[in-house]
Amino acid sequence: MKSLPDRHGEDGPVPLFGTWRAIYTAVVVSALVVMALVALFSRWPY
Amino acid sequence: MAVLNGGELATLARADWIVLVGYLLAIVAFGLWMGRGNRRVDDFFLAGREMRWWAAGLSVMATQVSAITFVGTTGQAYTKGMSFLAFYFGLPFAMVVLSLTLVPFFYRSGVFTAYQYLERRFDSRTRTLTSVLFLLSRGLGVGVALYAPSLVLSVVLGWSETTTILLMGGTTIAYVAYGGNRSVIWTDVVQMALIWFGILLCVGVAISRLPEGFVLRDALALAQTTGRLETVDLSLDLTRPYTVWSGLIAGMFLAMGYFGCDQSQVQRYLSGRSLTESRLSLLLNAFLKVPMQFLILLTGVLVFVFFHFHAPPLLWNRAELARVERAAPAAELARIRGEFDAAHHERRQAAEAFASARHRGGNVARARDGYLEAGKRVEAVETEARRLAETVTGEPYNDTNYIFPTYIVSQLAGGLAGLVIAVIFAAAMSSLSGEFNSLATASLVDFYRRFVRTEASDAHYLAASRLFTAGWGAFACFVALETGRLGSAIEVVNKFGSYFYGSILGVFGLAVLTPWATARGAFYGLLTGMTAVFLVSQFTGIAFLWYNVVGAVSVFLVGLLITAVAPGDRPAGVR
Repeated sequence: MKSLPDRHGEDGPVPLFGTWRAIYTAVVVSALVVMALVALFSRWPY
Repeated sequence: MAVLNGGELATLARADWIVLVGYLLAIVAFGLWMGRGNRRVDDFFLAGREMRWWAAGLSVMATQVSAITFVGTTGQAYTKGMSFLAFYFGLPFAMVVLSLTLVPFFYRSGVFTAYQYLERRFDSRTRTLTSVLFLLSRGLGVGVALYAPSLVLSVVLGWSETTTILLMGGTTIAYVAYGGNRSVIWTDVVQMALIWFGILLCVGVAISRLPEGFVLRDALALAQTTGRLETVDLSLDLTRPYTVWSGLIAGMFLAMGYFGCDQSQVQRYLSGRSLTESRLSLLLNAFLKVPMQFLILLTGVLVFVFFHFHAPPLLWNRAELARVERAAPAAELARIRGEFDAAHHERRQAAEAFASARHRGGNVARARDGYLEAGKRVEAVETEARRLAETVTGEPYNDTNYIFPTYIVSQLAGGLAGLVIAVIFAAAMSSLSGEFNSLATASLVDFYRRFVRTEASDAHYLAASRLFTAGWGAFACFVALETGRLGSAIEVVNKFGSYFYGSILGVFGLAVLTPWATARGAFYGLLTGMTAVFLVSQFTGIAFLWYNVVGAVSVFLVGLLITAVAPGDRPAGVR
């Protein structure tokens, strides 16, 4: 059983949002937006 | 679609059976087909490292969603509301941190297990200890994870526990032992799609079954009046289980511990065809997890409203209800039933009056108060019924997990009950498959290849991997079959994992964040962290989510302290 080769090379383009900075920002913003929507859902005057 | 009483067994219609059996046959056949062609161990364990991000990401999600998450979460929303959602608030942030830190280290070093990386960074005993902890907790935990839904389904469907355990366990072993991780991931993709479809279906059915003139807004107003829509608790009290802060901070530590250090998760994203694909698979969870849990909890809340207008059973666990009917004094039971029916009828009228006041501009505040009073009377009778059950059986009674399955089999028709039961099977099998596969990987890579057969052909290790998979599957079935006799030991097993998740996270934190930390610091830091968590759990009332913070921080600080006091040892190599 061979050990797996180390993969140090760069890993190609980011297929979504273009850059890693953009995708991490999107994750954080969407998490905050979802939390805000959930809070709004909880407190909405039905 | 009648409401079930004790001793009365639900029967699936022919259409339900066709859907359920069709699902089981199709998923096993699909798993076997997708898993064909494994030639090497990295094919079997890491799917040849050729998975796309969305497939690995859905598999990560599917491994985490167990059947008991599905039925337990809806039941929890029914009884206590949606506050549990806060548990997941820290998860998206944890995915970002892991994607930036641990995932590149794991992926680039070409390891099969997360613990293998610790030998490269620290020493072999740290690897061995963390892998042993994983095997112990997952090995026992997977048996309990198999037992819990099997028990619920056996009671609701009237099957024997042995049948449901062997059906769930056996079908999963069949395709995982043959196809390895490739089968796990592709069946997880299908199962995750089915789970999403089932969740949306349940939400749709619950909304469509509201009585005429009672719209979704009224249902949400009712649930809000009882506090069941509350998800944002800003309290700083550490003993409260689900606050925004415990969800964001402690939940983030828990998610980092689980997704970053638990082999059942690490192995899914290590199968990515590149580091980018592995990272994106985790980030998919960051986007989807909270909305998914929201919908599952919303289903439970809507089922709660649904049973305002349809008679619920006195006790949700019909096996226990049958015992109560046989053993309790008939007059007392009849009195409780009478009071329950009257209280339920009164609550229904109060709910209708509340909606009517809202629609016609009546005295909404008075109608709300009337509804709350009626709701309290229902809860008082339910509490009395549960006490009677405890007196009769001599055991604690909790039927939260039975609510949703009972709703399914008593209210859904035309094959939908079979479909949602198939969704529960899918949730169970998707987590079992990943766990069998990861247990086999850790057994072979961290122990068998190091201590038993250090040099052998790929064919040998592939055969051994299949045997380990089947062995862990059989062990899980055995534990599940025996769990009914273990009683409170189940709780011990469930808590066992929470004692060291944070501590193991602390070791990985030392590994990637502090290049100067020594093996001695990591090893004794880990022991200290687990001890700290044990002491906190035994002698304080701090909510369990915070154990992960205590463990991780203790290991990190003690590890650094030992490194400072006794520097010198250098990282060893890795096999």
